[in-house]
Amino acid sequence: MIRIGNVLVSPGEGGVYGERTLDGYRVWDPYRSKFAALYTLGGGVELTPEMRVLYLGAANGTTVSHVADYVETVYAVEFAPRPMQDLLEVARRRRNIVPIMADANRPEEYAPFMEAVDLLYQDVAQPNQVEIAMRNIVFLKPGGHLVLMLKTRSVDVRQDPAEVLAGARAGLERRLDIVDARWLDPYHHDHAAIVCTLRE
Amino acid sequence: MQLRYWLGDVEEVGGRPAGTDPTELAKRAAELRTGMDSFVPIEWETARDCGVVRTREEYVDLLRSVCTVLARQKIAQSYQGRDVELLQMVRMLDELDNVINLLSERAAEWYQVTNPAFSRKYRSLPAKKMLGIVQKGARGGLSDVADEIERLAGTRSRLMREVSARADEVMPNTSALIGGLVAARLLSRAGGLPALARMPGSTIQVLGSERALFSHLRGGTPPPKHGIIFQHRRVHNAPKAVRGRVARVLAAKLAIAARLDYYRGEAVPEFLEGAQARIDEAGVEA
Repeated sequence: MIRIGNVLVSPGEGGVYGERTLDGYRVWDPYRSKFAALYTLGGGVELTPEMRVLYLGAANGTTVSHVADYVETVYAVEFAPRPMQDLLEVARRRRNIVPIMADANRPEEYAPFMEAVDLLYQDVAQPNQVEIAMRNIVFLKPGGHLVLMLKTRSVDVRQDPAEVLAGARAGLERRLDIVDARWLDPYHHDHAAIVCTLRE
Repeated sequence: MQLRYWLGDVEEVGGRPAGTDPTELAKRAAELRTGMDSFVPIEWETARDCGVVRTREEYVDLLRSVCTVLARQKIAQSYQGRDVELLQMVRMLDELDNVINLLSERAAEWYQVTNPAFSRKYRSLPAKKMLGIVQKGARGGLSDVADEIERLAGTRSRLMREVSARADEVMPNTSALIGGLVAARLLSRAGGLPALARMPGSTIQVLGSERALFSHLRGGTPPPKHGIIFQHRRVHNAPKAVRGRVARVLAAKLAIAARLDYYRGEAVPEFLEGAQARIDEAGVEA
């Protein structure tokens, strides 16, 4: 990952969402992007130029654009029409983003488009986040990484976030090895990042 | 075994490409169904070996065009429903209310400063009358603002009639029970007619009082009896003792009405008659 001083940046054409630039690099703000927060806190998976990524919950394409700066190809899945309009515009200007309008709950909808990926990144506001991840690891190469941004409030507002995290870990450990799990405070509250590798 | 991908079917020996025209490919891909049990991710080299593309760039470019065509179609489709525009209309209406209130408050404050003897106390001065006074008495910027507020208020009432009419058209049963405006607000909070039609009555009952609801779920506070539906006279005019019951019965009938609106799309008199009677009954104090 590229840092200028302590600031996380990504190489690429700027002006996607009014982000600042530093020495020609785009500043990747940890307060806006959970992925950036994870890197800023010292975790995450090193993004490399030959990587292929499946990104679930692409939203407006803000974080997607930074990921695309680092890797070879990003398959960006988003379900809602309004953010999809923005994502299409981002994908039009970045030739390594494949915009897919589909429900991450139903991988069979976009399976015909998918090749195997090195990284599965998931940031969706759904109660069954772990289940969604498990359904999508068919696209992951053996030894590939899963980065799950667990929104504990979307799972159950009544439950203690720590308990939600414990439940998610147990669910993931059935097929993956957990490398790292940490909270994204102070950048994002009640959000945890879980980094796993797929067992060979 | 045959595997079906966006660019064609792939067999153990070689594949059958489906062409290179993005629109044609999108049409075919939209009807593709894949079983996940035997699914194997595609390798782009297959496309090269079949002669569809020459390089990885060409592969990704073609895939992007196909996916973009598909996404645009899906977006257009999801915006087609009459309820989607109604959603924006009612949100704009509520936003206008906010803006008009803010501006009138500020204009009144400003007017009081220019007229030290003026006070709103002991006079029943609704916002509209107050605005008239400001328009008459003020000069310059303040009177421009007052004119602007009046114009906004006109826009607001025209929009309100439009929302009401559209709600009667899009959700005839729900509107008949609770009025077009409140029906439209329920729709806006639910996020669309399909979403509203899938909601249980108990959720509809507390739509719009999420703060109270979650504070109740988290700990101790009493549960909310009503959310947006409080705006209907049947709920807010009901005696306090039976208000909860009216809200609950009304919400239950609204859930049925929303389903009729979504799946049938026309007013159902037999249902409405029974529902109205049942709701009226709930409002009678024992």
